[in-house]
Amino acid sequence: MKGKVALISILLAGISFSADKLIIKKPPESLSKYYPPKSKKFEFVSNMHKMSLAFYAVNLNINAENWEKAKEWARNLEKTYKETAKMVPEWKKYFKPELAENFRKAVESQNVDEIIKTSKELGRNCQKCHQDNMAIVKIMYRFPSFEKIKIEDPIEFTELETGKYMRKLSNSMKALRIFLLQGDTENARQAGEEFIERARQLKTMCTKCHTEEEKEVIKASMKKSSEALDVIAEAISAENIDKNKIFNSLNTIGMSCSKCHNVHEIPALIQEAFEE
Amino acid sequence: MKKLFIAFTSIFIGGCGSFEKIFVEEDLLKRPEAKRCGDCHAEIYKEWKKSRHAKAWVSEKFREESEEYSKVKCLKCHAPLEVLEGKKPVTRDKHREDGVNCSACHYREETNAIHGPLKVWSPPHPSRQDKFFKKSKYCASCHEDTYKEWKMSGSEKSCQSCHMPYIGKRDLIQNFPYHLLHLAKPRHDHSFPSLKAKSEDIEIRIKKEGKRRIIEIENVGVPHNLPTADQGDPKYYIIIEAYYDKGKTRKIRRTLSPEAGNALVYRKPLRISFFESKDPKKIKVTIYRRLSWKKERELIKTYLASM
Repeated sequence: MKGKVALISILLAGISFSADKLIIKKPPESLSKYYPPKSKKFEFVSNMHKMSLAFYAVNLNINAENWEKAKEWARNLEKTYKETAKMVPEWKKYFKPELAENFRKAVESQNVDEIIKTSKELGRNCQKCHQDNMAIVKIMYRFPSFEKIKIEDPIEFTELETGKYMRKLSNSMKALRIFLLQGDTENARQAGEEFIERARQLKTMCTKCHTEEEKEVIKASMKKSSEALDVIAEAISAENIDKNKIFNSLNTIGMSCSKCHNVHEIPALIQEAFEE
Repeated sequence: MKKLFIAFTSIFIGGCGSFEKIFVEEDLLKRPEAKRCGDCHAEIYKEWKKSRHAKAWVSEKFREESEEYSKVKCLKCHAPLEVLEGKKPVTRDKHREDGVNCSACHYREETNAIHGPLKVWSPPHPSRQDKFFKKSKYCASCHEDTYKEWKMSGSEKSCQSCHMPYIGKRDLIQNFPYHLLHLAKPRHDHSFPSLKAKSEDIEIRIKKEGKRRIIEIENVGVPHNLPTADQGDPKYYIIIEAYYDKGKTRKIRRTLSPEAGNALVYRKPLRISFFESKDPKKIKVTIYRRLSWKKERELIKTYLASM
């Protein structure tokens, strides 16, 4: 029997999370009350974890032939499922309480074939909702929004939104490149100074969220780009500007930029699209 | 007065041990609101009320930066339960709006007593003299980065000597008639002034190396970085203006902040260099600061040099 029951987990693992088309829909407003800033308890996701734990506990106990415990966990699962179904009214259609009920009944009957059948049905039901919503919910609620982060421009001494600051930073870098390519050293020096200052101040944005030990990680990951900024500073204050030195340093800085952009830019773009 | 009568009677019958217990007010050992401590320590409470410690939780800036208190890792230093040597505190559940309150610093669960730097007789609560209160390390549980900067400076002045300055011998309590039973004690300011660097705390030197102009700015007076903070975002602003012939000017600006990692380290000059095709007639350097919780900038120093 053990082998047969172990099949439950294999079958569940086989339900894939793939699609050839991905439609991203904004999560319903009522979900926001289970996430910061409205709630610090993460009630919705915490119920998901409770159900996942109960589901596996049923499997574990059946394999150990501890039916009493398996039944207890199946009852917990049904209870949490029904509670969760009421939490986000807009998602009511995803929940089919009878599936959790059937699963509990199958466990209570100790009928392994029935357990496999009902667990597959319940698992598919969970996966449908996860497939439609999990990625966007994580993007909207697990990635802090850049919208509220402001950064002070070290050249103009004004507080700017992240997007505007990034544009200024990027434009001063482009200006440095353009003036160097055009052979306009005086303006290149000016643009270079502005770029260096803006790039150095960028850390003040990271440390709004990456505090304590994480702050050290940020410093370490920015070490190479900080050194490259020093090289540019030295080069633009020299009588004869070494262009290649500056272009090489800009490449090093660009690689460092892309590390953070790869993590933060895509979620930020999606969040921004929904806000608009 | 009724309590006094009971006290004298209990001394007569049971000796000093039972006397101490009669006056104990149990709620003082249950981490009450700061206001409760202010019932007796009225002057200290008034000073603390003006401090940034008292505003650590309710500060509008903190509310915004912590995104409505949802960044949980920030909360522990803004409403600490108990400040202990070498440990980050845990967040208090009660009276968070009090910020860094009296019990966070003075109550110790281990001894179930109120700790402080002085040896005192305090019938409403057991007290323990604790020399640790005079050490800079005491502040390091939350002000960790500033403590490290201070340590690197090699200064002999403690954090408390500047940020809890001595204000003379005073009564520790003010409520009648009990204050008559106490002697005045050496007192330190509980408003924890954030202070401002004086002009002479920062030296400015202007040099020339070939065609490069070098401006050196050195913190010579404050034994920690300028500005300093573990998480806030205070700033120093440096504006360099070079004046040339025919009214031509050049302006260079720098923003220094602990978060950007470019604050003025004690006794380590910051070098700002720029290329000059012509010598200026004059160079003016102006330094401002902005505290984390303020919008306005304050002037620290102006320096003008004719070339």
